[in-house]
Amino acid sequence: MRFFHNTTIDFVGKRQTFFFVSAILITLTVIGAIIIGPVMGIDFAGGTEIGVKFENTVTAEEVRTAIESSNFDGAEIKSFGTANAYLIRVKDSDDAPSLVKNALDTKFANNPHTTLKVDKIGPKIGNEMRTNGLIAIILAVVAILIYIGFRFEFIFGLGAIVALVHDVLFTFTLIVIINKTGLFNLEINQSTLAALLTVVGFSINDTVIIFDRIRENLEKLKGKKLTEVINISINETLSRTVNTTLTAALVLVTIVLFGGPVLEAFALTMLIGFIVGTYSSIYIASSFVLWYNDRNKKLEVAK
Amino acid sequence: MKQNWKKLALILVPVIAAIYVLYPTWQSTEYESLWDTARFEARQQSNPADSIAVIQKFKDNYGESFESAKQKRIKLGLDLRGGMYVTLEVDVVRLIEESAQKDAVDELFEKVIEETKNYLKTSDEEAIPVFTRFFDEIARPEGKSLISYFDIGDIRNASEEAILENLENNALSAVEQAQEVIRQRIDKYGVSEPNIQQQGTRRILVELPGVSNEEEVRQLISTTARLEFNIVRNNEKIIRAFKAIDEYLSKRKGLFGEETINESELVRTEQAKTDDNSPMDTSLTKDDTSSTSTEVASEEFENSGTLSEDNTTTSNPNNPYEGLQEDDQRKLYKSRHKFTSLFATFFIPGENQDAVQYDYEVNPPAGDYYFMISEEDLDKFNAYLRMPEIKSFIPFNLKVAVEAKPIRNSQDQKNKVFRFHSIESEPELVGDVITNAQTNIDPTTNSWIVNMQMNTDGAEKWSKITGANVGNQIAIILDERVYSAPNVISKISGGSSQITGMANAQEANLLEIVLKAGALKAPVKIIEERVVGASLGEDSISKGISSSIIAFVLIILFMIFYYARGGMVADFALFINIALIFTVLASLGGTLTLPGIAGIILTMGMAVDANILIFERIREELTKGRSLKSAIDEGFKKAMSAIIDSNITSFLTGLILFYFGTGMIQGFALTLMVGIVSTLFTAIMVSRALIEIQLSSSSSEFGFGQPKEA
Repeated sequence: MRFFHNTTIDFVGKRQTFFFVSAILITLTVIGAIIIGPVMGIDFAGGTEIGVKFENTVTAEEVRTAIESSNFDGAEIKSFGTANAYLIRVKDSDDAPSLVKNALDTKFANNPHTTLKVDKIGPKIGNEMRTNGLIAIILAVVAILIYIGFRFEFIFGLGAIVALVHDVLFTFTLIVIINKTGLFNLEINQSTLAALLTVVGFSINDTVIIFDRIRENLEKLKGKKLTEVINISINETLSRTVNTTLTAALVLVTIVLFGGPVLEAFALTMLIGFIVGTYSSIYIASSFVLWYNDRNKKLEVAK
Repeated sequence: MKQNWKKLALILVPVIAAIYVLYPTWQSTEYESLWDTARFEARQQSNPADSIAVIQKFKDNYGESFESAKQKRIKLGLDLRGGMYVTLEVDVVRLIEESAQKDAVDELFEKVIEETKNYLKTSDEEAIPVFTRFFDEIARPEGKSLISYFDIGDIRNASEEAILENLENNALSAVEQAQEVIRQRIDKYGVSEPNIQQQGTRRILVELPGVSNEEEVRQLISTTARLEFNIVRNNEKIIRAFKAIDEYLSKRKGLFGEETINESELVRTEQAKTDDNSPMDTSLTKDDTSSTSTEVASEEFENSGTLSEDNTTTSNPNNPYEGLQEDDQRKLYKSRHKFTSLFATFFIPGENQDAVQYDYEVNPPAGDYYFMISEEDLDKFNAYLRMPEIKSFIPFNLKVAVEAKPIRNSQDQKNKVFRFHSIESEPELVGDVITNAQTNIDPTTNSWIVNMQMNTDGAEKWSKITGANVGNQIAIILDERVYSAPNVISKISGGSSQITGMANAQEANLLEIVLKAGALKAPVKIIEERVVGASLGEDSISKGISSSIIAFVLIILFMIFYYARGGMVADFALFINIALIFTVLASLGGTLTLPGIAGIILTMGMAVDANILIFERIREELTKGRSLKSAIDEGFKKAMSAIIDSNITSFLTGLILFYFGTGMIQGFALTLMVGIVSTLFTAIMVSRALIEIQLSSSSSEFGFGQPKEA
């Protein structure tokens, strides 16, 4: 079985177009995300979130009225995985869980509910988790830059980072937008962070494998132009790039479909990130190296 | 062929290791289902004795192996098994507030506290520096210093630094104190496998699997503990009460299905008359539980004997044990002493005299006694004492309190032994009179001591209490558990007492923490609380498992479809890989969480990446016209740098996640890292060994799914 054989696609030739398209898309999603505003999950926002499941049919609106009638202003109700299961978010209060439970017990006396989960996060912890998350992402990027810079030339490290920033920005803004559509619950929480960091890891993985091939081919194909070397390298590794993304995507789609409400968002974020990451490894990372090299004439081969 | 053995070993060793390490996990799930059936059966029984018999039968058959399997199995995170997760933090501002002298507090001080509280609502800064900053801003210009508000004991040593240091120390011990109290309470509440640990210097993390009644648990861990001093009365009064309980129970069936023997049914023979053995003696030495108590007891009190057998026979002319087989004697003893046979009782005839075991067969001599009970009998003991009809036998002014820690010699043993005391029900003094406590070493005896200071009011009462109780023991009780029961040597006036008898620094520190609980009521607040309902946990497990299986099958099919026999090898390597991940997790004592399962599923996707890299290389080499063997060699060699580089970068991100993440995210990061390491091993070493073994046996044919072309 073989999907790609001796392909000679000119990946970097149209780099300006791809840069342009990427830049436009990112600008659009970033503006969109800023307008919408990212919705912080309970981990980062603090407050109390309660997941309940009713035995019989109940609409989100009915739940909201029930909660609001018991003095919880601005309660947020979201569906939670299956039918008649809802996430109820209220502002932090010491005994919010029992108050909510009482409210639901009295309002829906004929429709018993079970509490699936409770998350109660003090404002301080929320702050702390947000800070730690940010530090983690920055540290990851720095660590990768150092490692790649050490293993490859500095330009490659820079190319990898550009691709990474591209991926994280794109994925992040995209999930903010998807969350707004209401198709999936994609609030920003600790799992989002873990997913983004995994995207970082995966994307760098892809990029490194292409760079590795470029490094090898720079030796082997002395006399050829860097553009050609890069194109050959991407073509040679194309089969691997596509197959790995395919297996990872198979897995992630499976989790999105069958993994349940807790893992769904996690897997979807990664799926988006992996696809974006594969695209950027092929079209952005190497192209950036080329563009940077053209301007600075540092890595000139064949001279 | 010899070469193949090594390669085979490379495959077999991980498989065997996996089976060995994962067996307890499998075993414990088996036992769990057996346990469920046993409990179901027990519930079906019409009378409680039969239910207990069913449970007992399960415990006899599987109890120990179940326990040991539980110890070694892969632990499930709270998100999978359901339960409660709470983070507590010491409320340092409240601690500062409470440490200040009540009569010195004025509006200025209150304003400083108010400002500090407001500031800390939005800041992560440490409380003490913030407090001093506001103090400098608000109170100091008014001519106040910290010394105006805080009492540090000795006026000559009073300095601002000392006060701040003292506050810092109090915050530290508040964390330990709260931990100790929570541990005891959780123990009593009966949560299986709780996890209580300190996080940093201010926080306590409490994980309680299987708990769903949040309200109750919240109460349990956030109520402050009560410290009391009660006079110990381990005398014949309580012994008589215990004896009366025995007599009452001897006519009834015990709570736990203990038999009641009809004396007339027992066969008495002349030969079996055993004057040398008192029945209690046999019962204690033959019975596992009590024998431990006797052994430990005799270690603690050397040369301890038993009440002489002459005494037994003479004072009890109608010896009910006369002419009975040893076995029957024991049964009869247990039947007659359903309550007191749960523990061991010793009589102290006088000062500097050896303690003797007391058997409740004779009238109790007046004097002091002491009691020991093994851990596994504690529940039964407490259950009896809770029964209203039994409670009524205990004199109204007495109550029973068990020590918090097992006695020294039994601490490392499997079966721990506790002492318990009969104490006055009304405390002489409550802990809020204590102003400070410190651990020290007595320079003359070179042993650990704890010094305790009381305020003037307390010191006055203390002097009266100790004066009236010289020679008696006073129990120091926190949360109804006895932490120490020192003897009063002399009247203590002046409010400063010294407690001796601690074996090591650890014991002394614990007592210090307990005493400080009286001085400051470890103000802790819940800052994070998560509850996962059992139904969501089960749902997550089943969804996690089903999506793992689907993902696994999809990957297997894809690999075979694309890489033919090479793909099969990769699939087999993947299988070993997953087994290895679980093996490493189990032996690291790691916890499997839902994100952890996601991590494993993701590893499946990433693990084949290494094989894909290698196989693509081999294909390239094959199209270049290399022989199969050399193409495989080259393929592995050339793919190596890419595999290593890409996995190291992924590992780095995993490491960072592990370091900065909390609970659940750490689970993901851990499986990701473990997965990367085992991927490197299986994808490179195991799959190569597999390919080479197959090559050497069927020599010529081995495909990587490359299209056949010339």
